[in-house]
Amino acid sequence: MKNEYLPIPAVIENIIEESPDAKTFILKPKDNTILRYNPGQFLMLSLPGYGEAPFTFASCPSKNGLFEISVRNVGTLTSSLHRLKVKDIIGVRGPYGNTFPLDKLKNKDIFFVAGGCGIAPLRPLIQYVLKNKKAHKRVEIIYGCRAPKDIFYKRELELWKKDSIVHLTVDEPDEKWGGTCGVVCVLFPKIKLNPKNSLVFLCGPGVMIKFAIKDILKLGFKENNIYASLERYMKCGLGKCGHCYVKGKYVCLDGPNFSYTQMKELGIES
Amino acid sequence: MKKLFITKDNLIELVIRLKKDCDEFIAPKKEHLDDIIFGDTKNSNDELLDYEGNSVISPRAFLLPQSEPLFEIKSSKKCVFVPVEDKKSRIFYGVRPCDIKALILMQKFFTDDFIDLPYQQKLERSTFIALACGKRCLAKSFCHLMAAGPVAKEGFDLQIIPVSRGFLVESGSKKGKQIVKRNKTLFSLARPQDEKEVRDRLCSFAEKSEKLDFIALSRTMAQDKVKEEIWDDIGQRCVVCSGCITLCPTCSCFSIVDRLSNDKGLRFRYCDGCPYAGFTRMAGESTPFPQHKDHIRRFFEHKLNIDVERYGTPSCVGCGRCIQTCPGNISIRKFVEQVANSL
Repeated sequence: MKNEYLPIPAVIENIIEESPDAKTFILKPKDNTILRYNPGQFLMLSLPGYGEAPFTFASCPSKNGLFEISVRNVGTLTSSLHRLKVKDIIGVRGPYGNTFPLDKLKNKDIFFVAGGCGIAPLRPLIQYVLKNKKAHKRVEIIYGCRAPKDIFYKRELELWKKDSIVHLTVDEPDEKWGGTCGVVCVLFPKIKLNPKNSLVFLCGPGVMIKFAIKDILKLGFKENNIYASLERYMKCGLGKCGHCYVKGKYVCLDGPNFSYTQMKELGIES
Repeated sequence: MKKLFITKDNLIELVIRLKKDCDEFIAPKKEHLDDIIFGDTKNSNDELLDYEGNSVISPRAFLLPQSEPLFEIKSSKKCVFVPVEDKKSRIFYGVRPCDIKALILMQKFFTDDFIDLPYQQKLERSTFIALACGKRCLAKSFCHLMAAGPVAKEGFDLQIIPVSRGFLVESGSKKGKQIVKRNKTLFSLARPQDEKEVRDRLCSFAEKSEKLDFIALSRTMAQDKVKEEIWDDIGQRCVVCSGCITLCPTCSCFSIVDRLSNDKGLRFRYCDGCPYAGFTRMAGESTPFPQHKDHIRRFFEHKLNIDVERYGTPSCVGCGRCIQTCPGNISIRKFVEQVANSL
């Protein structure tokens, strides 16, 4: 029988600086295991001596076994992770959690709303949707950051713009910024999706999710077509440690992706 | 199945024989303050064959210890991890029916969805001998309301029920039947008056109290119909001493930490719990439940609502340990009765 707590070693194949406090790590299991995951799922990352933390896969599954995670430097584990170099080794286990409702995507308009590093969990789904772009009439992405320097995946945004409409906004513009300023909600009037036939995917800080959903509902989107990828403290990813428990659900097993209908049942707004 | 009978002398002999078959014989014994605790008596031979009341801490502590290694870190730099396994076989003797019910629930929980291997492995090497209760243990216990006592219905390998002329013995599993088979000269058939004695005791134990409608109680909690004043009061009384989560036989939450010396060490899990403010705190200090009353509320909801929905029975077994230990005088029994009466 498998000891689910035992991670496997993975090699850091490359590191990309996304912003002054965030890096993307491109990883590959040392024994060439291919982690079979779907967009929206997460892994537990181990840094022996510092423990474990959950990170959502930030890239679509690839045939060569490489996968990416994007990490902001906010705590002890993440700051130690930021000190690592290419070819260093970390531990991984997973995938865990549910996936975005991929079976519901077909023929729907797709609306992504991301705040800060919340773009990372949505990225595999954005890549997936844009790869199957014929299945969707319209795809729009709203992405809000603190400042222009905090925008992730700048190298990929141009590619996304070919097949979708990407709206960016920042709270603190610099001199060069000519775009929108303010929270993600200020961009909602600009979207041209059909609310009756759309799926919405959100990820970002709790306050963003809370207020964005309120505005999205006002635009006529349906509650059960709005999905948010939620963040909770978790230690095991297996529904055992209890940290991510909300009203009988475990964010690690039943989530991290919940429809707004489910969120209301759980009495949570973000 | 027909119940068997064993005399006190033969039970002593059975214990001597059982000790030869296990690495640890976990049984109740008296501490210096006259408290009952479970400990290994294989060599000390100071176990109590029968005792009054219940142990301070339930035998859960041997299956989900305060801290235990999950695996060995052979090299932290190279991420070389090696499994560790607790290979000791244990016979648990004298476990109270409430704690037996708790162990059933813990087993369900730890083998649901993902199997928790460290728990499962210990369980596979364990034998449970229940000891039915002769009388109510604490004034604060209420196992009869929570369908958890005074006699266990399932979840044991053997159950010993004290009667005036000795003990009735009931086997509840293949393991239990084998023990009886291997030692059959120690047993005789129970007499009708022994069984009558047990039935009479069950009647007097239940007093006149009605069995709790825990389905209705669970529904009330799910619908958020418990008065906010009750949660406010509980929140004010809780001083986060962690007594309840330490003593509760069905508390299972834990955290994980690495202990390294140079490049080598162990990854441990240690018991953690919902009353602590840091239990749900995320990176960057944000927390989904900022209010203290919501932390302790979770303890109640888990035991009385969520597990009823999940397993069809509450995971509060009415042992009364949390009430006995609480410095703020919080009582899950009073809560249960208050909410049940308001239905």
